[in-house]
Amino acid sequence: MLVEFAAGTLETAASICVSAHLHFCKQCREDLMSLNEVGAKLMAEATPEPVGEEVFDSVMAAIDGKQPAKEPQDLHSASTRFPFSVSKLISGSATTLTWKRLSASVDIARFKTGQKEFEVALHKICAGGKTPKHDHHGLEYTVVLKGSFSDERAVYREGDFLLRQPGDVHQPMGAQNGECICLSALAAPIKLSNPLGFLMKPWLRTNPM
Amino acid sequence: MLNKKEEIVDKHTEKNSRVAVLNLAGKRSDQWSLLLVSVGENRDRQAFGQLFKHFAPLVKSFAQASRHEGWFPGLSEDLVQEVMIKVWQKAAGYNPEKASATTWIYTVARNCRIDMLRRKSNTQHLPLENEDFWHEPDEETPVSLLRQKRSEDKVQQSLAQLPKEQDEILRKVYLEGKSHAEASSELGLPLGTVKSRVRLALQKMQILVAPELQDELIHD
Repeated sequence: MLVEFAAGTLETAASICVSAHLHFCKQCREDLMSLNEVGAKLMAEATPEPVGEEVFDSVMAAIDGKQPAKEPQDLHSASTRFPFSVSKLISGSATTLTWKRLSASVDIARFKTGQKEFEVALHKICAGGKTPKHDHHGLEYTVVLKGSFSDERAVYREGDFLLRQPGDVHQPMGAQNGECICLSALAAPIKLSNPLGFLMKPWLRTNPM
Repeated sequence: MLNKKEEIVDKHTEKNSRVAVLNLAGKRSDQWSLLLVSVGENRDRQAFGQLFKHFAPLVKSFAQASRHEGWFPGLSEDLVQEVMIKVWQKAAGYNPEKASATTWIYTVARNCRIDMLRRKSNTQHLPLENEDFWHEPDEETPVSLLRQKRSEDKVQQSLAQLPKEQDEILRKVYLEGKSHAEASSELGLPLGTVKSRVRLALQKMQILVAPELQDELIHD
């Protein structure tokens, strides 16, 4: 997954989760630097393609017309301990980021990321909160941003990166000592077996195209 | 006020001396990294001209290698322009200790290429640029710098010695921009084979240290 991230071929929603994990994981950050070098070396060894003088001229013209980009550092310091990409998602959707009650102990805040295949969201599990037992219809990436939670298999702490496959059933539980916030990217389930499926099917049958 | 100025001067010379140390060690001695530092610190147009001459054709070649859905050859020069403008604008943030100029410019090119594709394909707006995914600062401990240095040398030496099939996969992934899944269907190989070839290549280059100690998932 890191290779695809370094090469830029990883799906956007998954990339957001990887970048959140990087915030916590030094090992992965270091590996990525090496993986970048592989890409750089491949680029550097390729046969150069001639670039005309006019391209240089237009770059110079553009440079003269522009101010140097300022580093968006204020975002980092103003934010919590959240990863940069998550902070930017939060601040980018300040007016629209709203927490909704999903169950007695879980709140969800969905991000607008323009992704059709994945829903990217924050989940907040209250201290000791039990989530309903649930199945996964599509892939789900999760990164623990704050606190910890556990399920039947393990305890997951800040920075942990999880992948749930379709068919995995689990029942996460928030740690007793504080709320837990997770970033998740959930593949949009394409399924006919949803609760309204039985209503859809007869209608589909009567509408042959 | 005076103190502050002194401090800045100190930082400046310190940075220069660190560059010099790296040079003496015979490593980051490449002219490109020095030129890029000069662009960042002095807005050195001549240095930028030299960088352009060397890197613009490589970036164009990288652009033309793209086999992304939605990419067409006409975008190549747009990418060259966008990348070189970014290089000028962001050069001040370049740290020669953390990466060579080539690696740094590769990351700029990769990010720009993805952003161009996202701009073209997404009807809805993603409030992030690809470089935001890479914004997590790295601590500059001597150990990590040393590791960095070593891995750079390894990549240099061992890429050329990879078996053809492993080299082919890396090119598909990095240059053509194919995901592992796309590469697998294109080559008619199971996804597992593609993944293991990538993994073998990286192990041969000794890029992934002690993979058994690491989270299998994210390194998959």
